[in-house]
Amino acid sequence: MLWFLLRTGWKKLWTLFFISVISFAVIHLAPGEPSQIDPMNPRFTPQQLERYRKAFDLDQPLHIQYLRFYQRLFTGELRSFKDNQPVLPKIVERVWNSLWLFLAGTILVWCAAFPLGITTAIRRNSVLDKVTTVVVFALISIPGFYLAYLLIIFVVQTFHVDVIGLRTFGHQGRNLVWSFMDRTWHLVLPSVLGATAGIAILSRYVRAQMLEVITSDYVRTARAKGLDEDTVLYKHALRNGLLPFVTMLGLIVPGLVGGSVIIETIFAWPGIGRLGYEAILSRDYPIVITLNFVAALLTLVGTLLSDLLYMVVDPRIRLEGVE
Amino acid sequence: MRVKRILILAPTLVGLFLLQSYFWVPTFEDQVKGDPGRLTRYIETSIGDASILNPTLAADSASAAIHTLVFEGLIDRDLDLSFRGRLAEAWEIFEEAYLTVDETQRLPDGSAATADELLRYLERARAAGEPALKLVRRIDLLPGRSSVEQIEVTEPGPERRNPVKRQIAVTVRQPPRIKFTLREVDQDFFTKIDRLLGGYGDRIDPSRFVQAADPIVTRERAAELVPPTEHNPVVLFRLRKGILFHDGHEFDSGDVKFTYEAIMAPENLSPRVPDFEPVKAVEPLGRYAVKITYKRLFEPGFGSWTMGILPEHLLNREALRAEAIRVGRDPKDFSLRHSQFNRSPIGSGPFQFDAWKTDQFIRLTRFDRYWEGAPNLREFLFRIIPDLLTAEVTFYAGTSDAYGAQPHQVERLRHDPRFQSFSRLGLGYTYIGYNMRRPIFQDVRVRKALGMAINVEEIIDYVLYAQAERTTGPYPKQTEFYDPTVEPLPYDPEGALTLLADAGWRPNAEGWLEKNGQPLAFTLITNSGNEVRKAVMVVAQNAWRRLGIKVETLTMEWAVFINERVDKGDFDALILGWSMGLDADLYQIFHSSQTGHFQLNFVGYANPAADALMVRIRQEYNRERQVAMARRLHRLIAADQPYTFLFVGKGLTLLDRKLVRMVEDADGTPRYLTIVPDKLGGIRFHFNQWVKTAEPVLTTN
Repeated sequence: MLWFLLRTGWKKLWTLFFISVISFAVIHLAPGEPSQIDPMNPRFTPQQLERYRKAFDLDQPLHIQYLRFYQRLFTGELRSFKDNQPVLPKIVERVWNSLWLFLAGTILVWCAAFPLGITTAIRRNSVLDKVTTVVVFALISIPGFYLAYLLIIFVVQTFHVDVIGLRTFGHQGRNLVWSFMDRTWHLVLPSVLGATAGIAILSRYVRAQMLEVITSDYVRTARAKGLDEDTVLYKHALRNGLLPFVTMLGLIVPGLVGGSVIIETIFAWPGIGRLGYEAILSRDYPIVITLNFVAALLTLVGTLLSDLLYMVVDPRIRLEGVE
Repeated sequence: MRVKRILILAPTLVGLFLLQSYFWVPTFEDQVKGDPGRLTRYIETSIGDASILNPTLAADSASAAIHTLVFEGLIDRDLDLSFRGRLAEAWEIFEEAYLTVDETQRLPDGSAATADELLRYLERARAAGEPALKLVRRIDLLPGRSSVEQIEVTEPGPERRNPVKRQIAVTVRQPPRIKFTLREVDQDFFTKIDRLLGGYGDRIDPSRFVQAADPIVTRERAAELVPPTEHNPVVLFRLRKGILFHDGHEFDSGDVKFTYEAIMAPENLSPRVPDFEPVKAVEPLGRYAVKITYKRLFEPGFGSWTMGILPEHLLNREALRAEAIRVGRDPKDFSLRHSQFNRSPIGSGPFQFDAWKTDQFIRLTRFDRYWEGAPNLREFLFRIIPDLLTAEVTFYAGTSDAYGAQPHQVERLRHDPRFQSFSRLGLGYTYIGYNMRRPIFQDVRVRKALGMAINVEEIIDYVLYAQAERTTGPYPKQTEFYDPTVEPLPYDPEGALTLLADAGWRPNAEGWLEKNGQPLAFTLITNSGNEVRKAVMVVAQNAWRRLGIKVETLTMEWAVFINERVDKGDFDALILGWSMGLDADLYQIFHSSQTGHFQLNFVGYANPAADALMVRIRQEYNRERQVAMARRLHRLIAADQPYTFLFVGKGLTLLDRKLVRMVEDADGTPRYLTIVPDKLGGIRFHFNQWVKTAEPVLTTN
């Protein structure tokens, strides 16, 4: 087991290295050499170039540039172009804000999608199944921002209550409980909206998976044994049906970085997606590159996680060299 | 079955937990839920963040919203827009006028005009009650002196491009001067003196007193170096005593002088330089008085002293040097612009700076030792929300206290019982300008006819949802300078056709208007991105085409529109707007000397009578006379129709009804009053008296 971890870790480190090279190359991939100022482009002023030079050591050979950049990144010296704040603490703060939204959204997706998918699979072709299908496809097709605006207007006009931002602006909260509940309330709309597409898609997967499983031979065998329907469905069928989703659990981790740009922008949520989006708009390269790197890191961690989980839940999977 | 139960329970519980949090959060009606302190805070939203919190350096409206609370000017405007003392308790405006002595001339009584003789002659006339000297408080004789001055001349460079600047030395022999101190400013003073002395001033030839290697320079620049006569208006401010900056330091005349110098220092690149350029000197007279002398007659200059005054002790040379060393910068390149002050300012206004989170909010807290008494509200929060819809919903949710309604929302929101509303008329107007360098637009009948063809009322009703008013001239309608008797052009396409026929434009066989075989055709342009202007353009094109005029239209990106077309005078007709100040000066926009490239009279309006009025208006310090002349100018411009004046936009500010003014009676019982807007519709005049109550306390709007 330990051997497996070491080996996978080693492989992932190499992947990470290549990703870091590619992320770094972004500086040189931007249109034209950064050192050539285009007088027609108002974004490229001599001051801008000077900042470039300083941040990326453009006068050094490439490999030195690369080393210096990551040295700065890991020692916390790398600073944002926009407000000259160190990049890492800034990203950590934003990740923390996004994390809550991400967790709430994920919990909603998984809590709602499974019951929905399973029910519609069991009662295939019932009225419920048909209605759910229509609603689900509608939710997949409606653009998230449109739904967000409709929901915001509806909630604010009906309940006269704040829904924008992390918490009610201008309110300090009487004590911790009030503050916590205030923050919880502000999670509701963005997380529900962030979850709609997820619920819609995931529930379809669950339905398909369940349909496949309940028509398989061993389920028929279980029924033939005379087991009651609930045991057949939830013990025998569901457990096997769940297997593919374990992989998904690991793969949603990188969604933390890029998953909710639109929702965060609409709700003025100071999260990581919005940070990245604004950084791209204002050409804040240190932030963009670091975020790129962090996203890669999270993806690798996510895949590792799903590999491990798979090993745990599916005894059929054996790793070479583990025996 | 456990799994089944979990599958049902989990989503239900998560959902219930999320939804129950609704009962803990404040609503519009119950804003104190969870935090009674909400009532002591006022929250305003803004689309953009402030740029720099220093009134001498910023030019954007978001920064200005903060400056007005953190800083205090010498004066400000009262509810009726007249000036009111703030840091200055009182002021006096008078004039110091100078007359150069020309000894080669003779006085009317035949004696030689030596300095002493001239002085004696004037004193005698004053004693005899000469009307020309009625305003004179005292007459002094200033001795002459010689000096060598360096002046900068600009010469056209090679191929007449890139003018070259050069310093040359000039010997100036300044003869003695007579200094008159006048009780009030009189722009005609020297005309009267000339009459008394028989044309004395007119005959002075300044080039006799100036010597330089280049005779052209002496001739052209002599009057500037040795002006035969000179008006120096003076404003004497008496300052209030005991006013404190937020750090406890007392405000005095040195701060006024420092603020002026900070604006004029070239390294600070202040956008306010044009406002203060006419100032000749700012001299403190003791700690509590300051004398401001102007280089020339320029009445609008007085209003510039509404600008916030900076604390000298925090920003003078020593303070900046200390700061530069502290942050490890070279003190030589460290100016006011680089100081941390601009992100955490200290002024003497009713609110002091507390925090600024870029792109999120700026927080001010009340200043307890404010000279007029501390404001009732404890905090002012300026929240940055770039999205209009988001700003709107935060207002409905009670997390911001004011909202500027969009035109299409006005009718609905004006009657909403939750809010109080304040209508305000803008200071800017939209117009169609005609390039009078083009032959077709030189005839006033054509310009008038074009205006009469457009149904402005229809534009106001359908494009602007009735949120605009017609305007007939160049002044804001709230000022006295606007002449309300001027009638707007009638909507009369028939009359327009008659006028065009009088001007020689008659329909040809195809129905198009033409004169001497030339069709009446031109292009109407405006900038893209402004939907109202675009709509006006379509309406105008349609109206004019119906008369038989071939009109093409074009919208272009703002920078191209301004740089390539407007600044270079390369257009036929355009739709644009002016945002006006509150002074009577129209010199830059309508004077015939301002028609060059990059100048503001880009339509090329020239009327000698209007020119003369514009010059006199900006030199007139007497309010009544100024108003009379401004109204005459309004009538002149309206008759000439260099623009078709269209409309002034209206706005509606909404406030939570729970905001009211609170004053305490002598025995300390609170009395609630409604919020009163000023003449411009601004609501913050009594801001320091505002309070927010948990329930609405006043029913009237």
